[in-house]
Amino acid sequence: MAEKKIIKTTCKSCHGGCGVLVEVTDGVITHIEGNPDSTTRGTMCAKGLSSIQHIDNPYRIKHPYKRVGEKGEGKWKQISWDEALDTIAAKIKEASEKYGPWTVATSQGTGRGYNRYTHRFSRSMGSANVISPGYICHSPRIGLYGLITGYGRLYCDYHGWGGVFPKTQISWAKQLEISSADSELCNWYIKSLDYCKNLIIVDPRATAYTSRATLWLQIRPGTDAALALGMINIIIQEGLWDKEFVENWTYGFEELKKRAAEYPVDKVSEITWIPKEKIIQAARLFAQDTPGVIQIGSSLERQANCGQTLRAIINLLGITGNIERPGSMVSWVLPETGLIEDVFNEIPLTDEMRSHIYGGKEFKMGAARTCNPDTIIRDFNKGEKPIRVWISVGGQQIVHLASTKPVVEGLKKVDFLVQVDLFWGPMAEMADIVLPAAHWLEMDDIYDMHPRFMIEAHNKCVDPPGEAKSDAWIFNEIGRRVAPEYWFKDVETLLDHELRKAPTTWKKFSEKTISGCFGPDQVYYKYKTDYWRKGGGFPTPTGKMELYSTVLENLGYDPLPFFEEPGESPNSTPDLAREYPLVLTTGFRSPFYFLAQYRNIPWLRTFMEYPTMQINPKTAKELGIEDGDFVWIESPRGKIIQKARLFPGIDPRVVAATANWFYPEAPAQGFRGVFISNPNVLTNADHQDPMYGSPDLTCLICKVYKCKPEELKDPKFGDIFTKEHGGKPWAW
Amino acid sequence: MRWGMVVNLIKCTRCHACIAACRIEHFLPMGMNWPRLIAWETDVPGEELTTIPVRCNQCKDAPCVEVCPAEATKKREDGIVYVDNDICVGCRYCIIACPYQNRTFLSRDKDPGYFPGYERTRFEKAGRKIYPHTVGTTEKCDFCMERIDAGLAKGLVPGKDREATPACVNTCQARALTFGDLDDPESEVSKLIKEKNAFQLHPEYGTDPSVYYIDGKIGNAPSNIAPREEQTASHMQHLSTMEERAKQIFGKK
Ligand code: SF4
Ligand code: SF4
Ligand code: SF4
Ligand code: SF4
Repeated sequence: MAEKKIIKTTCKSCHGGCGVLVEVTDGVITHIEGNPDSTTRGTMCAKGLSSIQHIDNPYRIKHPYKRVGEKGEGKWKQISWDEALDTIAAKIKEASEKYGPWTVATSQGTGRGYNRYTHRFSRSMGSANVISPGYICHSPRIGLYGLITGYGRLYCDYHGWGGVFPKTQISWAKQLEISSADSELCNWYIKSLDYCKNLIIVDPRATAYTSRATLWLQIRPGTDAALALGMINIIIQEGLWDKEFVENWTYGFEELKKRAAEYPVDKVSEITWIPKEKIIQAARLFAQDTPGVIQIGSSLERQANCGQTLRAIINLLGITGNIERPGSMVSWVLPETGLIEDVFNEIPLTDEMRSHIYGGKEFKMGAARTCNPDTIIRDFNKGEKPIRVWISVGGQQIVHLASTKPVVEGLKKVDFLVQVDLFWGPMAEMADIVLPAAHWLEMDDIYDMHPRFMIEAHNKCVDPPGEAKSDAWIFNEIGRRVAPEYWFKDVETLLDHELRKAPTTWKKFSEKTISGCFGPDQVYYKYKTDYWRKGGGFPTPTGKMELYSTVLENLGYDPLPFFEEPGESPNSTPDLAREYPLVLTTGFRSPFYFLAQYRNIPWLRTFMEYPTMQINPKTAKELGIEDGDFVWIESPRGKIIQKARLFPGIDPRVVAATANWFYPEAPAQGFRGVFISNPNVLTNADHQDPMYGSPDLTCLICKVYKCKPEELKDPKFGDIFTKEHGGKPWAW
Repeated sequence: MRWGMVVNLIKCTRCHACIAACRIEHFLPMGMNWPRLIAWETDVPGEELTTIPVRCNQCKDAPCVEVCPAEATKKREDGIVYVDNDICVGCRYCIIACPYQNRTFLSRDKDPGYFPGYERTRFEKAGRKIYPHTVGTTEKCDFCMERIDAGLAKGLVPGKDREATPACVNTCQARALTFGDLDDPESEVSKLIKEKNAFQLHPEYGTDPSVYYIDGKIGNAPSNIAPREEQTASHMQHLSTMEERAKQIFGKK
């Protein structure tokens, strides 16, 4: 009789944390499905389900390796864990003693349950140089919401716990329907749409839900601040703002009114390319049909005007009173385990650590606890050595940082780089030592889904391949060698420590799989109680929700939001735009991939084999491009190849390219095809948001033309494009 | 009793999870997709192109059943059309007969393994024991009849109780798929069909599909939808290129 067991665990193939049931028969996973007894009610997406192809995937990294050839040459020698860990610890100690602990950087991919380890690890070594993609994804929201609500960041209350669902929802550059991201949850969002009167979608292209929307604002990429300010202006001009809330609980309304008046609707329509009537309608719906929420997508944080764009949107929420009401934006009450970030906050950042944050003097908001990677790359290319040892987990900085060529050149100059990863990718090929990581099906760990109102458990279902280990184990082991006072005897003790406030233990929690503050335990209208401040009010210097931010003012930033054109656009660089006439956006999500992940998962790759560039059929016709053609997309920095998909749902003046693309099947040389199709070959790191340092990744300009057949045969592309393919891309 | 499905085209996010769920449920070989999302042209301005989820329609008057010389394709009392792969002789008449292109012949090259040239994964190997796929026969969606049968035996209700409901329906985050008994006027599917004025794809083929669509802006009149050649082109290309490409991308170099 086969021994069959069902293991309850949590998916983190995106940020969703969907509850999962895994059937294990005689030690082999034979089934994966959603757990009906979880917050996601038994549903799972294609990414999560296809996790099964991580198991026994021959391309997984299974052992520690050290590089024996040049960087990017793909020559490796297998080594033992002891050798790997001891070498890493020795390198860290050496760099720390000789050049200072801040020359040791820790980098990570998008926060997938290891944020607390990277930050704790970095701080335990005395360095605040954590390199995270946060500055182009979620951190600006966290920081700017935090200016109003302190720790209690704002999230959409589409749960109905306060008795109502949002009546008006704005999905602003988001596409939450196909991936849970940035603490917002696909499943709850979709459910709440059944109760939503007006769904307003702000997106440069048609998405799955634009046909479901009441209103679709097809915006020119990079002009979102103008739209938000235009809406604020309409709401104020028409007297539709929430008088009670604004009067009693906000600071700086008159100043905001004045600023918004600089954005009359005609001007906004001209800037954003959205018809005037639609802007007016959106403003009225949002102000009148309350409560409402705005989901903000990370595309807005991949723009150099990101801080002020978010400030404008937050103010739009403020003047409509959509703060802390049931069905509006709410800051969550934490689970009984408290703030999971305390795992690293308990090691405070010292002034000395802070003073060595790269880019900290320039990007003051971003430097709250991470450094600016673009600054580091620039310093390297100036001949400096800002970082000596770089410990990287999960992320692909080569892929997501702006302007790939200087990034690769810069990274080559790092003395010693370690990559912890599941698969061989561009960062692994850049590393000196590569460590094999375990997949979520193969680990015991706590999942924090970005600090929200719940934490969940990953329960190990099968052993990892070869000698692969969980991130927690890897950080703990290196940590024990360099800063033993902050690390633990084993992973279980570490996990127990993370749960100590509940108080509970890992063993108990792993059975429970979830701890959160749901339903009636959530608290609304915190500003009317002593929650934030005795006698009521917001946790801000003025005690009010600051429409006019005194904190930003003190830091030397404009306390009121404004719009600024992208670094390169038809308006800001008209001469350049004559040569590069199309606006290029790279912000859209694909339901099959999460950022740079999963091109090596066969089931997912069948859905979209090549990166796809969407182009309006009219534009395509003018350019002689047909559906399925490979095309060059060129900017002043370089050119890449993607596959054209003729798509009527995009403005004829805009094209949308798939971001974060490399080819895991490509040879190590050329860093796994990172230069071939990735839009960051085209982007520019020099035009950055003054608060966060975010460069223009999702709004630039380009020209597009068809690839000649012989160009695709260029030996540097290997066999990526040479296979005969017929006319059209796969149906998807 | 006649099992049917309603697909809500406005809720569906085109996320492809239904396909992944079916692949896991039935341990499908790389080149095999029972449900699919296919390109579909419409006459709705600004939305001239969409994709729609399709799977075997479990037609009431199923031409695939009629043409099968081996009587391997059968129709059950409850309306489910299935292939008995022990009997199927691989003549592929049914593939030609199905006007919806919902059947696929499992040729050897459609089963190269997830990672061609490498050892099959343990999931693949275990799957072959639990759910054998016979090379040289034809396959298609069978409405997860094993789930339905096992569920009914336990007294559960397909479409209501998860254990008795098709895998794709369970996994859909958008809750775009509804399953139930078309003969029961009180079932969720019957109500949706009535209230929402549901339509079948290409009713002019005269097969009376059990899969219905609602809330789509693709136009209710069949003349609004793309000519069959168009649809076939994108579908066939999908299936004919995948195994080869899978070998090229994921195969041993
Ligand atoms: S939505 Fe995210 S967490 Fe849920 S199954 Fe998909 S990948 Fe996993
Ligand atoms: S799982 Fe649901 S939403 Fe996703 S493609 Fe299938 S039917 Fe549509
Ligand atoms: S859709 Fe095709 S395969 Fe399915 S029952 Fe109808 S004719 Fe037969
Ligand atoms: S009903 Fe079952 S067999 Fe048919 S597509 Fe859905 S999961 Fe696959």
